[in-house]
Amino acid sequence: MLWACLLLPSLPLDVFARALAPDSIGRPFVVASGGHYPRVVAANAGARAAGIRRDQLISAALALAPDVAMRDRDLAAEDAALAEVATALLAFTPNASLARPDAVLAEIEGSVRLFGGLQRLLPQLPAQARSRGYGAMLALAPTSTAALLLARAGHSLPVQDHAALPATLAPLSLALLDFDVDTLAGLKAAGITTFGAARGLPRAGLARRFGQSVVDTLDRALGLAPDPREPYVPPPHFERRLPLPSPVDSVEALGFGVNRLVNDFASWLLMRGLGAVRMSLSLVHERYVRERGTPPTVATFALGAPARAPAHLHAVLRERLARVALPAPVEAIVLTSDETAPLASRNLGLLPEDEAGTVVVPLVERLRSRLGDHAVATLAAQAEHRPEYAASETSPALSQRAPSRMRTAGAPARPSRSRNAKAATRNTKAPAVIGAPRPIWLLDEARPLGVVFEAKPWILRDGPERIESGWWDGRDCRRDYFVAETPQGEIVWIYRDHRYGTDDGEWFLHGVFA
Amino acid sequence: MNPALARLLSHPAIWRGDDCAPEPASVATGFHDLDAALPGGGWPRGALTELLLEREGIGELRLTLPALARLQAEGRSIVWVTPPYRPYAPALAAAGLDPARLIIVHDCTKAEASWAYEQALRAPECGAAFAWMHTHDERVLRRLQMAAREGRTWGVLWRRPGQRASATAAPLRLALAPMQGRLAVRVLKRRGAELAAPIVLDLARAPGAPLYPLPDGVPFSRRTSTSVSQGRRHGARLAHRKAS
Repeated sequence: MLWACLLLPSLPLDVFARALAPDSIGRPFVVASGGHYPRVVAANAGARAAGIRRDQLISAALALAPDVAMRDRDLAAEDAALAEVATALLAFTPNASLARPDAVLAEIEGSVRLFGGLQRLLPQLPAQARSRGYGAMLALAPTSTAALLLARAGHSLPVQDHAALPATLAPLSLALLDFDVDTLAGLKAAGITTFGAARGLPRAGLARRFGQSVVDTLDRALGLAPDPREPYVPPPHFERRLPLPSPVDSVEALGFGVNRLVNDFASWLLMRGLGAVRMSLSLVHERYVRERGTPPTVATFALGAPARAPAHLHAVLRERLARVALPAPVEAIVLTSDETAPLASRNLGLLPEDEAGTVVVPLVERLRSRLGDHAVATLAAQAEHRPEYAASETSPALSQRAPSRMRTAGAPARPSRSRNAKAATRNTKAPAVIGAPRPIWLLDEARPLGVVFEAKPWILRDGPERIESGWWDGRDCRRDYFVAETPQGEIVWIYRDHRYGTDDGEWFLHGVFA
Repeated sequence: MNPALARLLSHPAIWRGDDCAPEPASVATGFHDLDAALPGGGWPRGALTELLLEREGIGELRLTLPALARLQAEGRSIVWVTPPYRPYAPALAAAGLDPARLIIVHDCTKAEASWAYEQALRAPECGAAFAWMHTHDERVLRRLQMAAREGRTWGVLWRRPGQRASATAAPLRLALAPMQGRLAVRVLKRRGAELAAPIVLDLARAPGAPLYPLPDGVPFSRRTSTSVSQGRRHGARLAHRKAS
């Protein structure tokens, strides 16, 4: 076993600061604990330069730097951040686990060879966290407790050997272990402050004085007792909230944070072997606006085909976001996956031309994200005799996606897939049996012809075709359709309305044989 | 001719004045006479085609349907930008097209339509893109022609003959007019020698045509008596069966 521990020391700060580009946070920024006498939990470089320290009262911090930006600590966001880093580490190992409040553990022994040796693999782990905007420190040890301990002590030299463990751990402070305050105070009163000192005492006595758990923890760190960790499994549904350090009132400034969320989303999709089909982005407004009843601004996205490439998702979101108008400043961004579908990985091409056929963003999606869903449609034929009801417009994504649709938390895809596909073919094939002429252009409303053909005669080319249907739904029709040629040479579809009797009905133009 | 010379002359880099320039890729129109008149033997892929007509309903789309069906069979999609009327799915299905793979862009401003058309021309998955746009802007047209070449898409611009005078970037320009129940196609511009006589096509057998065309139609006016008994009672009969 070889455990890597990623410690995120500035996590309370980073969950806010990562939403903005690094250079745009020059001003002092602190995260405060809640309650009546809030204290500083973490401070950025600007705040530290102003003299703000941890555990200071907020009132003191305000006295030191009046323009300090302040946020209450967001524990939920910190938990989500740990989950996110763990998800990213799952790209390297099947076994990652959370070590709350500020670390993630990953067992990497089996992956060392695959990634080309320890020297190549190790730098990639903290890079994963840093690329997501979290400061990270790495430690490596044969046991998970020891890895955590070394990370907290800032000991970054990898320890690979069990035999070297006791000597490495001996000088470390016991305060770094997760002992409760009373135990720590008791140990300190007895003059035992380092790991080595505690380890040197008789086990039975130590257990009697301070509890069996102390002895067990020491054993686990040295690999003498089993050290099980609960493996992290990405949740079946993606919903992530990104709080912003200060309210933002322009869509452009949100771009950086949205990109962060999209990257998280992409790695979650990759871990679960899924592609996004529909997702929504809600922009949560400031509290004073929320309390006046303004709902979050929600933008929904639908993709023509399941996708998970970050560049693809970025492109779709960017087009759509540009059209969003913000009624009030935004405090947090939430990205939710509404629907996903299984998406197999694609093999990379051996030769350059193998890659040529890959499409970046399908045309339908680009059109829909810019023009809106209403502006892009495909057609479907319906089994219906009344011409105006025999066709319908559908959304292109729905018709293309139909065979492989699947809800996020859905059941196995296979049975429903084949049924859907069959239903789709049946629907489109069935109405094609009408053997009578049908025009390519159909007028939305039949146009009364009135006295148009009094001047020059039109020529009837075909007909009549009686269409009499729909008595059951109140929109019944009784028409004789003809194919006619106008004096200008157009071939049109006209009918005589016989609803109110025969042979004296009005003439209507209904279609054009283009 | 000497076979060696014939082989040499068929080289794509050589173009003789009395002939059509070889088109790198084309899709057959489905009409033999028209194929013979077009460079490359069909509608050009990767170029704009301008089709000019006075009014809709003379068989202009029937002229394009065989090629569209062929492109769809290759698995490429078709985009129509701001068509003048609603395309009618049953007729398209009867002509061999899959209406579900025909993407229609409507309800948008002029600028948006132009953008959508360019995107469609540029998209590699799009086989044909039709647009009913009345733009005279030379720069826009040249841009569209470039997009079509890049995306290897057959782009059709439907225009009115009044716009004929303006210069165009499209390498192929045809004027369509009805001629006694048939369609006369005049080649106004092509990569090749000028063609004076119009090509007359009989579209009666083309997909999408009204079936059973009567050789001599019945002239009629408003008061003509039309009786159903001699005609087909299509919907009525089927509806009756359905209801019972």
